[in-house]
Amino acid sequence: MPSVASKQYPDDVSLLVLLLDTNPFFWSTTSITFSQFLSHVLAFLNAVLGLNQLNQVVVIATGYSSCEYIYDSSLTSNHGSFERDRTGMPPLFASLLNKLEDFVTKDEELSREEGNEDRTPSCLLSGSLSMALCYIQRVFRSGHLHPQPRILCLQGSPDGPEQYVAVMNSIFSAQRLMVPIDSCYIGVQNSAFLQQASYITGGVHHTPKQLDGLFQYLTTIFATDLHSRGFVQLPKPIGVDFRASCFCHKKTIDMGYICSVCLSIFCEHHKKCSTCGSVFGQSKLDESSSVSDKKKKASQT
Amino acid sequence: MPQVKIIAKNFMDMVASLPAIKLDKLYNNVFICEAILRSLPPLAKKYVLQMLYIDVAVPATVLEEWVLADGASKHRVAIDRLIQLRIFSEITDRKRGTSYSLNPTFQNNLQKHIISGGVLPREPMNSDNSIKLPSLQELETYALKQWERFLLQLINSGQGDKLNGISESMMKIFQRGLLSQRDKDGPRLTESGFQFLLMDTNAQLWYIIREYISNAEERKVDPADLISFLLELSFHVTGEAYNSNTLTELQKNTLKDLEDLGLVKLQQGMKGNWFIPTKLATNLSVSLSDSSARKEGFVVMETNFRMYAYSTSKLQCEILRLFARIEYQLPNLIACAITKESLYNAFDNGITSDQIITFLQQNSHPRCADRVPAIPENVTDQIRLWESDLKRIEMTQAHFYDEFPSKDVFEAACDFAREWGGLLWEDSKRMRLVVKSEVHNQMREFLHTQSK
Repeated sequence: MPSVASKQYPDDVSLLVLLLDTNPFFWSTTSITFSQFLSHVLAFLNAVLGLNQLNQVVVIATGYSSCEYIYDSSLTSNHGSFERDRTGMPPLFASLLNKLEDFVTKDEELSREEGNEDRTPSCLLSGSLSMALCYIQRVFRSGHLHPQPRILCLQGSPDGPEQYVAVMNSIFSAQRLMVPIDSCYIGVQNSAFLQQASYITGGVHHTPKQLDGLFQYLTTIFATDLHSRGFVQLPKPIGVDFRASCFCHKKTIDMGYICSVCLSIFCEHHKKCSTCGSVFGQSKLDESSSVSDKKKKASQT
Repeated sequence: MPQVKIIAKNFMDMVASLPAIKLDKLYNNVFICEAILRSLPPLAKKYVLQMLYIDVAVPATVLEEWVLADGASKHRVAIDRLIQLRIFSEITDRKRGTSYSLNPTFQNNLQKHIISGGVLPREPMNSDNSIKLPSLQELETYALKQWERFLLQLINSGQGDKLNGISESMMKIFQRGLLSQRDKDGPRLTESGFQFLLMDTNAQLWYIIREYISNAEERKVDPADLISFLLELSFHVTGEAYNSNTLTELQKNTLKDLEDLGLVKLQQGMKGNWFIPTKLATNLSVSLSDSSARKEGFVVMETNFRMYAYSTSKLQCEILRLFARIEYQLPNLIACAITKESLYNAFDNGITSDQIITFLQQNSHPRCADRVPAIPENVTDQIRLWESDLKRIEMTQAHFYDEFPSKDVFEAACDFAREWGGLLWEDSKRMRLVVKSEVHNQMREFLHTQSK
């Protein structure tokens, strides 16, 4: 059996899976509009495709309650030129924009049906990450020479703590596949998920300061192929937010209880682990910590 | 080394060697800018991309900060290449030191390309048109068949069906260097000709195209125009039909030649002529040496030196004949054996054992290719052994010294030669020694100083 490495192209051929944040709750609050943002991103995709004939780009839209493949350069290259006649747009991205529009309306309907008012306005990162990994896995298994894959998350929405387990699992499978997850966070807060994803998988995390020059940030940092990363200066992480979410209430916590059998995380003491069913003993710390729990609750309210 | 190697360098080396004015003219075409960008080393690509929207010159010191210390040599290679292709222009300022800026035409074109995507000067035919397009599979078989026919014609010029487009004189040009013309026993393949046959298709194609371009001036065709057309062709979509009325007279003529090489397929329709680029054409500008065009192999090599080739192609048979004895031919199978005599024959023709072994490895049948090693070890070892049998004697140019005045001078001379790594043989009794001729000059000077 030839190993994975030997089936890759020797040069800088890359497969870029871009996760595009289309969360309307986020885009209603930003300084640049979604269309401005898209024009930066499309130029960036064109640039990546221009760098090598064999480069491949896949775009996955990450919405509020769903996600979908909206563009695959390996599929559209053959009949893209026909679409230009109808819409008058550059051939490469006419289909992308059409699909994106469909996706956004569909996503809106879905989120209306859901009607969950309490949820944080996050995007479905876990879903799109899994889709990206599935795509990459398929490329790996296709048997031919394949380009070196990497994932780039372009996200502005805050983290959704309820997705913690799913996101972490995706990150670990990316780590095992040796697929780096780059992340470009364009929101106001910091995203612990993205920081951890890039840190664990050896990708680059960066938060651009000026969104007007997004294209320059994208080409300077995120257009770097894996082959060149060995000798190019890239931003180093300053600090990584390692906080986890608890399994019981999906809150992001600094300190909590951990099941000694399955390592599940809880924000308060339980009699029994909800994941593996182990029964916890009555610990000595219990009384003292319940006091501090009460204190915490008091300070929160 | 006495061996003549055919160097199949890539397209861009040829572009880089064009004079400056021609090069600037080439950059007016968006597709050439794009093709050139693709051919650059990874780091150079990154620099171009990074500087695409910077209008002022960037100081060299800033550029150096973009790379880590390990990448310094790669950095220099990238910068050299960019300057060579006139993409970067170097500005030396006494105060601020060296700085670089992008070629404005190149920059403009690339900016346009990145924002709006490339638009070819001609539209592909709509699919609802009356002509039936060949499928990708058919097109590929067509391309390979055409290419094989061309190669057959190339190696035994007398036989085979005649090609319609490429003239006798063109063929002569291609054969120059590959065949040696001897009046007595007809044309024979030269060493480089044999090596040419063992190269993969992309490398062969590139060799022919290079000859075609370098010969352009004799046909009163501007090589720059030819290069720009070929590069443009490589951006057309494989399997789509394009109207040939959009081409200039020169390009139409070129197309006819390219059809013979299997780069395009010409079709006549109701509303004029169409051309359909094949995979060979679209792979032209790819910088990778062994790209996705890797074919499925057909050779099964056994440990008893017998070889079974599942092929119907006459050309493959000819190639195998270069180093193996064909025993019998079935409709879809060629059975042959590698023998000492057949290999000596190959070595005589200047083929090396490594070339034979790589050829066997590259073309081994998928079932064998999965095995490690694909070619049985005893066979590869034996091929190498037979080759080294022929090379028992090694020739080295040397000088012979004797009649030394004293033992001391002799010893000193021996030590001197040893220090320079040139001592081949010494006879201390009769004070004679043999030294490589590279060291002869130093040796003579040394002996002069000794005798004074």
